[in-house]
Amino acid sequence: MPDQTQQEHPYIGANVPIAQAALKATGQMMYTADMKLPHMLHAKVLFSTRPHARIVNIDTTRAEALPGVRAVITHKNTPNRYYNSCGEVLNEFMTEQLFSPVVRYVGDKVAAVAADTEKIAEAALKLIDVTYEDLPVYYDPELALDENAYAIHDHGDLERGNLILTVAQSSGDVDRAMEQADRVFSGVYECPAIHHGAMETHASLAVFDAEGMLTVYTPSQDTFAMRRNLATIFDLPMSKVRVSVPAIGGAFGGKIDLTTEPIAAALAIKTCRPVRLVYNRTEDICSTRNRHAMRLYLRTGVMNDGTIVAEDMRAFVNAGAYASGTTSVVWAMCGRLFKVHRCPNVRFVGYPVITNTTIGGPMRGFGSPQLFFAQQRQMNTISKALGIDMLELQRKNLTTQQGADPRNQQPHGNARPIDCLNRAAERIDYSEACREQLESENARYRIGVGIGVGAHGNGMYGVKADITGLMLKMNCDGTCVLFTPSNEMGNSSVTLQKQMVAETLGMCLSDIDCVEADTRLTPYQLGDYSSRGTFVSGHGALKIATSMQKLLAEVAGRMLEVPAESLRFADRAAIAADGKRVTLEEIVLYSRDHDQKELMCAESFASQAGVMSYGAHIAKVRVDTETGEVKVLSYAAIHDVGKAINPLSVTGQIEGALQMGLGNALSEDMGVDERTGAVKNRTLKRYKMLYAGDMPKELTVEVLDSFEPAGPFGAKSIGECSVVPTLSAIGNAIANAIDAELNSLPITKEKILEAIAKKTENKA
Amino acid sequence: MDTISFMLNGVQTQIEADKNWTLLYVLREVCDLTGTKCGCSTGDCGACKIILDGVAKNACLIKIGALEGRRLETIEGLYCDGKLHPIQQAFIESGAIQCGFCTPGMIISAKALLDANPNPTDDEIIKALSNNLCRCTGYVKIIEAVRMAARLLAE
Ligand code: FES
Ligand code: FES
Repeated sequence: MPDQTQQEHPYIGANVPIAQAALKATGQMMYTADMKLPHMLHAKVLFSTRPHARIVNIDTTRAEALPGVRAVITHKNTPNRYYNSCGEVLNEFMTEQLFSPVVRYVGDKVAAVAADTEKIAEAALKLIDVTYEDLPVYYDPELALDENAYAIHDHGDLERGNLILTVAQSSGDVDRAMEQADRVFSGVYECPAIHHGAMETHASLAVFDAEGMLTVYTPSQDTFAMRRNLATIFDLPMSKVRVSVPAIGGAFGGKIDLTTEPIAAALAIKTCRPVRLVYNRTEDICSTRNRHAMRLYLRTGVMNDGTIVAEDMRAFVNAGAYASGTTSVVWAMCGRLFKVHRCPNVRFVGYPVITNTTIGGPMRGFGSPQLFFAQQRQMNTISKALGIDMLELQRKNLTTQQGADPRNQQPHGNARPIDCLNRAAERIDYSEACREQLESENARYRIGVGIGVGAHGNGMYGVKADITGLMLKMNCDGTCVLFTPSNEMGNSSVTLQKQMVAETLGMCLSDIDCVEADTRLTPYQLGDYSSRGTFVSGHGALKIATSMQKLLAEVAGRMLEVPAESLRFADRAAIAADGKRVTLEEIVLYSRDHDQKELMCAESFASQAGVMSYGAHIAKVRVDTETGEVKVLSYAAIHDVGKAINPLSVTGQIEGALQMGLGNALSEDMGVDERTGAVKNRTLKRYKMLYAGDMPKELTVEVLDSFEPAGPFGAKSIGECSVVPTLSAIGNAIANAIDAELNSLPITKEKILEAIAKKTENKA
Repeated sequence: MDTISFMLNGVQTQIEADKNWTLLYVLREVCDLTGTKCGCSTGDCGACKIILDGVAKNACLIKIGALEGRRLETIEGLYCDGKLHPIQQAFIESGAIQCGFCTPGMIISAKALLDANPNPTDDEIIKALSNNLCRCTGYVKIIEAVRMAARLLAE
């Protein structure tokens, strides 16, 4: 194992462009929708226009008669096995079927057509006649929880009615601490459903060949669970199911669940021809997965000096029509409440509830953005009420490097949120910004400063067997092939694995060829999710490279007649203490020709620590009190990622998280039309994501100079954590600018004007 | 079916298509030029940007019939003789590429800008990218890449 702390590392801490960047820059990167196979058919899906209804009759004869139509599938002629689309939950709460005789949201799948062209398939959809019988409808989880509410599912072992499972955890004695607190603050916080917004929509291309092999090409973050689900649905052995990822055009958690895959597969099986299914943007928004809409009730017990003594949260989580990974999201979110404050008395109760809206699933942050929006907004309220500056209040309560989870004393792992916060305050000039806020108090354009702190995990240690398997084989010119179950979906996770290998074996990055994310070609891993990329899979790459180094050193030691342990690897060679060297090429050839042995390894890495990543954001905004318009003037986002293995990608992740988080805070909202049950904002024109011109002009993105002992070369995660503090930083900044409570996202112009009007009314 | 001829990446090209099909559909499904992406087909994401007579446009909103006699550049036209275009180089080196799905459209918007204005200000860069969405990068490194590309092209 290379010394991870001391010596020079050419690749660790280097700015490395993402793997296969040239393919992406030239348009040569082959995404699923770019693929074509001989004899391929095109699929379209008929989606429900009813929020909840029984299909009394479905007649496909007219569609089938349309020239060019090769198959029409419905619940009547496809397997009816129940499954959970999300690999993180897999064998629990199996509420979904390929097609069901009951539709449970507007956008639910009713039927699908495979035809010679997409246009024919689309025309055929209009010829399918469906007769529905409407059933009771719930859009609000609290209403769906009512004892007398109609149960949307009769399968899946839900706890009761529409409640999937009560998720409850606590530490200390919350009720007593609340009684003893000087003040108790209560708030209600609303977060809407959020579209992942990956620029590549969901797509898959399925092939079912004469050997009975089902191959599905799809942008999947979770190939192995998808294989398992497909094997279950179609009753095939896993040796006859292959899930292969050509490329992923952005995922953010949205490509963990099965969505298009079983539909394309069923059509391929029916027609014995390759079938490609590509969702358009509206289908992608309405019929895949979204970040959960939630309503959070939070009580905080505080002493007059600002010490938080109790936190008590109840979360009503809108799972939408099927269970998916909702319980996993709520468990993850629950855990976070115990990770940021020193307060020993904490309670979380979460109610994931089935309703008749689009399906909530995993998304970047896994419940943390919502949780910290509530907690940090309430901190801001407390700061104002007690007259203690927010910065002080944070410092008084945030966890420290010695911090541990009050439930089980498990250490957070070198937690440095206070250092992040101090640095952010310095970089944005916090006191000057506060002065501007005060000075603009009565002006038309108000300045507001807001602080948000957040945390996120590093993998699923303690929850699931958090494993990544990898293989590595040497080529006879001293280059190698790494077989990794990850896909380079944009977060540089495979790039980082290459850095680990190059560093350990003294290779150049271009010496490493990768086979990625394919159930047939690579070992198993848990999935490209849960911020495992750096901390777990990166560690796996380090482990396999270290094993290969041992093999190489053993041969090189014999060649050079020195002890294997005395060799170091650099410049594509093994180098002895006296400077004598053999190249990797010579080692491999010697092994083949002399030892008659191929140099290859397979390893499995299992995570053994559940450390946390932290970040602090400060936003300075300007609010136009006449129009309600918000401009983010400057923004500082400081994170502790341990050692940044690839600063170019780490800062890129944070910058991207700001596009997402600021959009979530200010404009993004799927919305439900309560008359029809349909998603309101179903195009990119209406679902407002931020363009370049909407981003803050002054932006500081930094990471602390830090080291996480449990991570590979001292590294930990960033991808998810970076989005977590955004909502509260912006929310608090706007609330401070206009001195009002704004607890419902997104904070639109209309809501701001309404809050201002209410204040004026109250004064009068 | 209609016959339409136009200049495609410097080559006079004739295709058979229904003149009402979109240019994006024809590029991807008829010409097998899949570098131009589809992120919305409503003109809101810019993943389908192409350059038509020197101006960056969304291919999803253009009917192929309108191409007759015109000059079209796609992302495939930038990479020739095995050499990356300086804009492509700059995107790679600046870390402007993550998932890469927006990248061809971004590079096309950048190219149209730099062809017309070799030395743009930041505001001009942002304006040129104002119809291109990226969910991964937050645009910071994309803007940096366009600046770098301008420098590389000036060399
Ligand atoms: S696909 Fe043309 S603008 Fe989005
Ligand atoms: S790099 Fe993924 S959308 Fe821009």
